[in-house]
Amino acid sequence: MLDQARAISPQPVRQVHDFKSGNEAAALAARDIGFHVMGYFPITPSTEVAETLSKMQADGEHDIVMIPADGEHGAAGICYGAALGGGRVLNATSSQGLLYALEQLPVQSGTRVPMVLNISTRTVSGPLDIRCDHSDIYFVLNAGWVILMARDPQAAYDLNFCAVRIGEHADVRLPVIVAYDGFLTSHQKRRIDRFDDPDAVKAFLGEREDPYTALDPEHPVTFGPYMNDPDLINNKVQQHEAMEAARRVIPEVFAEFAALSGRDYRTVDAYRMDDAEVALVLLNSAAENAKEVADSLREQGHKVGVVSPNVLRPFPTDEIRRLLRNVRAVVVGDRGDSYGAEGGNLSLEVRAALQQDPDNKTLVMSRIYGLGGKDFYATDAEEFFNEALAAAATGKVDVPFEYHGAYAGDDAAGPPPGLPPIQSEAVSRGMAKVTPNPDTNKLEVELKPLWEMTTTPSRIAPGHGACPGCGFFPMLRQAYNVLEGNVVVLFQTGCAMVTTTGYPKTAHRITYIHNLFQNGAATLSGLVEMYHERVRRGELPAAPEGEDTTFIMVTGDGGMDIGMGAALGTAHRNHKMIILEYDNQGYMNTGSQLSYATPFGHRTSTSEVGDAMSGKRFHHKDTPQIFAACNLPYVFTASEGYPEDFMRKMSKAQWYAQRQGLVYGKVLSFCPLNWRTADDAAQEVLQAAIDCCFFPLYEVEKGATHVTYDPDAIGRRRPVGEWLGMMGKTKHILAPEHADQLEMTEQEIGRRWRRLKIKSEHPEL
Amino acid sequence: MARDPSVRSGADLFEVRFESIGGLGAHVAGKIVAGAAVLRMNMNGSHFSSYGSEKKGSVVRSFIRLAPADSAIRTSAPIEEPDVVVVFHAGLLAHPATLSGLRAGGTLIFAGNEGDLPEGLERAPGTAKVFRVDAQKIAFEEKSRENAVLIGALAEAVPELDRQSVLDALTATFAGKSDAVVDSNTRAFNRGADELEAVAGIGRQDGDVPTMQSHPAWGYRSAPIGGVLPTPGNTAHNDLHTSRTGWMPILERDKCIDCGMCDMVCPDLCLVWSTHVDADGNPGVKLDGIDYQYCKGCMRCVETCSTGAMIREAEEPGKADELRVPLFPGLATAAGGKHA
Repeated sequence: MLDQARAISPQPVRQVHDFKSGNEAAALAARDIGFHVMGYFPITPSTEVAETLSKMQADGEHDIVMIPADGEHGAAGICYGAALGGGRVLNATSSQGLLYALEQLPVQSGTRVPMVLNISTRTVSGPLDIRCDHSDIYFVLNAGWVILMARDPQAAYDLNFCAVRIGEHADVRLPVIVAYDGFLTSHQKRRIDRFDDPDAVKAFLGEREDPYTALDPEHPVTFGPYMNDPDLINNKVQQHEAMEAARRVIPEVFAEFAALSGRDYRTVDAYRMDDAEVALVLLNSAAENAKEVADSLREQGHKVGVVSPNVLRPFPTDEIRRLLRNVRAVVVGDRGDSYGAEGGNLSLEVRAALQQDPDNKTLVMSRIYGLGGKDFYATDAEEFFNEALAAAATGKVDVPFEYHGAYAGDDAAGPPPGLPPIQSEAVSRGMAKVTPNPDTNKLEVELKPLWEMTTTPSRIAPGHGACPGCGFFPMLRQAYNVLEGNVVVLFQTGCAMVTTTGYPKTAHRITYIHNLFQNGAATLSGLVEMYHERVRRGELPAAPEGEDTTFIMVTGDGGMDIGMGAALGTAHRNHKMIILEYDNQGYMNTGSQLSYATPFGHRTSTSEVGDAMSGKRFHHKDTPQIFAACNLPYVFTASEGYPEDFMRKMSKAQWYAQRQGLVYGKVLSFCPLNWRTADDAAQEVLQAAIDCCFFPLYEVEKGATHVTYDPDAIGRRRPVGEWLGMMGKTKHILAPEHADQLEMTEQEIGRRWRRLKIKSEHPEL
Repeated sequence: MARDPSVRSGADLFEVRFESIGGLGAHVAGKIVAGAAVLRMNMNGSHFSSYGSEKKGSVVRSFIRLAPADSAIRTSAPIEEPDVVVVFHAGLLAHPATLSGLRAGGTLIFAGNEGDLPEGLERAPGTAKVFRVDAQKIAFEEKSRENAVLIGALAEAVPELDRQSVLDALTATFAGKSDAVVDSNTRAFNRGADELEAVAGIGRQDGDVPTMQSHPAWGYRSAPIGGVLPTPGNTAHNDLHTSRTGWMPILERDKCIDCGMCDMVCPDLCLVWSTHVDADGNPGVKLDGIDYQYCKGCMRCVETCSTGAMIREAEEPGKADELRVPLFPGLATAAGGKHA
């Protein structure tokens, strides 16, 4: 009875054809389910779930409360808290986002709070790769969540409905993951059938019933007590029993869903397995590719089939054993290795299941394939089948474990060589002379004329892949013009990282490090301390005062959301380094999702504009003031549109970072693609942002604020509307129906500007 | 690795591959055509695209699989042996990968100027149907985009697609836009269909075009461990000229005062300067020109220039090569070009 693939049978309820990707299908399911709350943080390739829901929300299609978190860990916390309140909760993530949330996952399963988490699977760093494999989902096998595998967009839609029912079942009470392949499913449009019968869907889902909620004052309860032995093991028995109950409940829910939809899911999808002598075991989309090869091999007389679990937790041990009982040889393909275990997790679990069957004689081979998005073609499946057929014929396995599809390389080949290294002397040209003024206790800077800077060798090479007009590179070029001596940079994940280091090429001519944007500041602070310690021990040459290596952590504004904790910790420890933020007002690398630096009302792909919603719902984060409150030696704001001002500040930053401690600088950086302007509009848009006082240019030097450009004083103050009218992402705010939004923007900008001026005028502020 | 015809994905599949450059709209075009087939022509279908790492200007492939309504589409792998290849930019034909796997009885549509027979067309099967359409000219004249022209051409050239259904799907994507926008795209689509020109006797390939196998520059025996790149600045070998979309900045040397302002705002780091000492012994710099290998044509230098020395001009074939001042004169550009 397991040998039936999902069949399209006559539709019991009204449905319509649609043409949707896996992410869109998951978003449609979310709309149709009507979750109460979604906490999320953008990460490719899952972001489109939140983006699609944002568009639908702007058009009034649903009323899910969408909460953009500060990072995936925060998103997981939002979801946990919301689910404790007794409503339905949704999240979507991938890869490193899942790993960043991982700490919260056992908390939620251990305290038995259901929700649904869509995972668009993607390989985990490092090096960073945005494409599909299953190394992320393998990390959560021990998290205590039910895991459903969705092999195509239809399944991504369908299994979200099932996930709600399974997780909320009184005997289960566990959170549920629905995992589909990143890009291969998340971004591939397919024909799907979706429900067009809200009453039937509602009847299927029923109401969520929680034995305990955090929103019932008449029945106060304590969630998450402190629990040691002898109690914890008993709690875990309950959790184990819940997972075992899921084993029973899942087929029941699948059967009910089949009656509703006409689509019949089994815990294990078995294709042509009735009399199969040889089989492949694969997860998700690769299994679908293999089925077509099984068809053609069947035509050639080979008895082959494909086994693919629809449920990974609880692992369908009995079904796997039953299906493979008479199979002579099987290749288990893992899209992710368990390094040192001689098989990925799927292989290990299949082997363990078979080992419990004393009569089983199946020969098992493990193959690691398709890592980091490497495509799995029909020919790859055919190779797997041929290996299994050979083993079945000879009765022995020659190669039990192997990576499939890797390339050894050709010694004569390789990427083009690098440019000559940048010599410290060649870039130390005294373009900015920094002198302490003993009277003011501040630094004074004398800049050389711009033309003299043009022949400074660049620490960054051309040939990078940024968009035309990108503001990051002018900023970096300007900074490098005035920085003296050796510089080491760390870029957090973002546009600048992706566009400068596409393997096997790098635009960086000095030492460069990438780390994920939760943790760049902490990482660089460790390197800074290692530098000074190795100098102290005499392992590295000591430099004269003011000539130590300069360490700069470069981040986008998004990195100052998710990485804020690590950055503030680094700031409080006052390491000798610079944090340089290029603020382009959003997560532009991943397609313009809102960051906390995105101003109020601005359109992004997660703060859409429509009849029911008008851009971002809260004001932009005042990051420089947060760092000023860390009592750093030097904090500044600047714009790539004011090179002299920025370069003066950058040279002061280097002086302070080499002698006193941490510097934070925020630089307004042009993004024509996502601000929706012409590629050459930088100057006028940046100028307007500064002249309307949205982005004041100032510095906080040893605690004293100094506005370095005051548009009021020189009669250049302009209305906020002039700036907003220049960008496609903000034009809507000027429409009469958004007059209140414009007024709120003006008020907030005016309030912050007045406070800043007062600080600037007062010697102690 | 030779591909075994016996494992071709589902025999009743009809597969189309778009070969394009980021910014020309191939992904959206694919979505429109496949959506038309599924939602308006009662077919089964799938659509997806693959991108390079660059944001704009790199090679983009978009894939459309179609099947009868009652036939399953299972595979999600890229299309290796297409029935149809649509080439959005004639320059792409120079790369053998562009026509990789095109079937002997297949169809090739390419965007090219009237009378133009770009290098690489000879790789097409002699038995394939080859069509040319001047997508750039039509798009320009109709204030539309190349993708509207090319899907018009595709819908006309291929009997599997219903021209009206594809046009309806195109129109639907402009819902809410002005009538003028709908009209200009409709005209572009129809001209693409009507001005499609058959090019006979150009393909030299006997049978299917072989599928291309490519390897990365390094493998696990040759790459430094940990993904480390001990090759500082080797993006200098990249050629990014395809990022320019018809316009280029030109230096009018006699108007330039070498103030250095353009150098502060150039995102592509492609301005070339030299130093000198004047008759009085004072050092000076001179802007020698632009390295068009890296210039993406954003025009920030033009916008910022206070003397009018940088001007925006339409890019004619060969002009960039003629005016280019190389930033790294000794650099071999052939190795590691972005399409390598």
